[in-house]
Amino acid sequence: MRDDFTSDLTHRLKWLYLLGVVAMLLSPVFYVIAISFNEHGFGARIYEFTFDWYRVVAGDTILLQSLEWTAYLALVTVAIAVPMGVLAAKFYRRSRRKVPFLVLMLTPLFVPADIMGSALLVYFKNLTQICEWLGDELGLTFLYGWFELGFMTAVIGMVIYTLPYVFIVILITMSRYREQQTEAARNCGATAWQAFWHVEFPQIRPGVLSACAFTTILTFNETVRTALLKGGFDTFSNVLVSQMLNIGMSGESYAMAGMMSMLSMAVIGGVLIYSLAAAERRERQARARAEPRMSA
Amino acid sequence: MTEQDIAVETLALTKRYGAVTALDAVDVTIDSGQYFVLLGPSGGGKTTLLRLIGGFVRPTAGQVLLHGADVSDLPPNLRPTAMVFQSYALFPHMTVERNVGYGLRLRKLPRADIERRVGDMLALVGLDGLAGRMPHELSGGQQQRVQLARALVLEADILLLDEPLAALDAKLRKDMCLELKRIQEQVGITFIHVTHNQEEAMTVADRIALIADGRLVEEGSPREIYQRPRKRFTADFVGETNIFDGTVTAADGDRATVDLGFAGVDVPADRPELQTGAAVAVSVRSELLALFDAAPAGDDWQSMPARYVKEIYLGLTTAHRLLLPNETEVVVQDLSHGERPAFAAGQPLYLGWRAGDACLHTD
Repeated sequence: MRDDFTSDLTHRLKWLYLLGVVAMLLSPVFYVIAISFNEHGFGARIYEFTFDWYRVVAGDTILLQSLEWTAYLALVTVAIAVPMGVLAAKFYRRSRRKVPFLVLMLTPLFVPADIMGSALLVYFKNLTQICEWLGDELGLTFLYGWFELGFMTAVIGMVIYTLPYVFIVILITMSRYREQQTEAARNCGATAWQAFWHVEFPQIRPGVLSACAFTTILTFNETVRTALLKGGFDTFSNVLVSQMLNIGMSGESYAMAGMMSMLSMAVIGGVLIYSLAAAERRERQARARAEPRMSA
Repeated sequence: MTEQDIAVETLALTKRYGAVTALDAVDVTIDSGQYFVLLGPSGGGKTTLLRLIGGFVRPTAGQVLLHGADVSDLPPNLRPTAMVFQSYALFPHMTVERNVGYGLRLRKLPRADIERRVGDMLALVGLDGLAGRMPHELSGGQQQRVQLARALVLEADILLLDEPLAALDAKLRKDMCLELKRIQEQVGITFIHVTHNQEEAMTVADRIALIADGRLVEEGSPREIYQRPRKRFTADFVGETNIFDGTVTAADGDRATVDLGFAGVDVPADRPELQTGAAVAVSVRSELLALFDAAPAGDDWQSMPARYVKEIYLGLTTAHRLLLPNETEVVVQDLSHGERPAFAAGQPLYLGWRAGDACLHTD
């Protein structure tokens, strides 16, 4: 924002600073992407553009399977964490004791990934034993293996990890929503669900979409929790990290990292472009309809 | 009066939030087709009462009867009420037409029917031609009209208005008051209007209930509330009033003599229970007071000595400030135009009023 008293020089310096920060944040990412398109890989003196490393990745069945698993994991995590986040944000807005609720919701953010992952691992191991004991005692064999490491435990770990982010993103969007609109909808005959779906949801939709995108990215980027809780499948990040640890960074590794970065930027960029385009379209329609205003 | 004639009845209606009592055992009866105003200071409980009638909050105790049926446990969408909110509460992502037709779409009425009824309602509130606008393209007054149309189109028997004009400027508020009254007379349903603005209340109301500190203070027609307030609070809250504390020295059924410490005055007192020695208050509207150089003669006049302080020009009227012998300040108002004597600061004068113009308050 530029005010009337800002000099041109100061204004340009601010922009320069902003671009510098963005460059510092993104240059490693673009560097990795650039290497992923170099036929001669990292450290080579010559640069020849190629899609070969991506072809190698595309032909790697282990990697493709891990991508598939990660996509499932992201989908299920989004399907659980986002509705939970919406409900939590709605509850928070109505609750009188906001601070304790906020602290409880955000606590998982401050637990390091390896601590949270290993804690959950131990927790699930114990639950598995308890379920087995209960199954033996009660003769209920269906209780066996409920919490054995696998897709479900990885989902639980990811939901615990992503829920605070989802909660915050949706809460920010929801803060602009006025509860009286829900009351007005109820007064028009809407049920609580209709009031939410017809009136509140369209206004918090950008936040919900952002939360979905954010959760997807967090799932694709997560390594520690999924490595500890995943059981018999590998996620994309797990494969990438194990490749780097076992055989170092190959051209294929750069291509995988490049794919991950481009996917993240595409998802975030897509949400941003969609939101801006929708806002622009609404504004244009409003301008087209607007006639000279009357005072009353 | 039959149950059919009574639109709203609250029985010992109470709402508590923890240790705070927002509404304390309020009994109100509102006739069908009446324009009823809940008037009172901010935080007095009038909006709580309205929200209890509308079903937006559940009573802690007591009952809400709408047309004789107990609706205390019903949510707002199952009550025969519609609400106009203070802060417009229009759906910002819907056009005016979709806002107004929202309730009709929920009822799954035929599209042609919805369009006709929405069109009729927009015409009623004077918004024809603006159906395609978005709420943010409308002025405050227009937004409030849309809200009114959205509530009226539901054809509810009872319309609740929560400070509907509070966000409008003074001129627009005055116009909208008359507009609300016209619409209420045209549609003939019960309007319950919450406001803290007494001029607004006087303009639209058939009856006024004064709510303060979570209690119903007094109820009556605008004229009764203004001219013959029974409670000291009412006299003080509505209009510009001078209140004098005193003790009853004689009471004979319909009149009482009150000793104010520096003067004794006769006051109409329709209170058979009044006892000699009772602490009371006497109120006289400032526009019913007159200034005299000497005590006015005749049984019809009551008077007391005072010292002139200064005048304040208020446009239509001029306020004269005086001090009584006990240093209590008194305000006298008269019309600014026409022949008026000039008074000097410190000038000794007499305040006078016709005996029937004063009111006696025991509480």
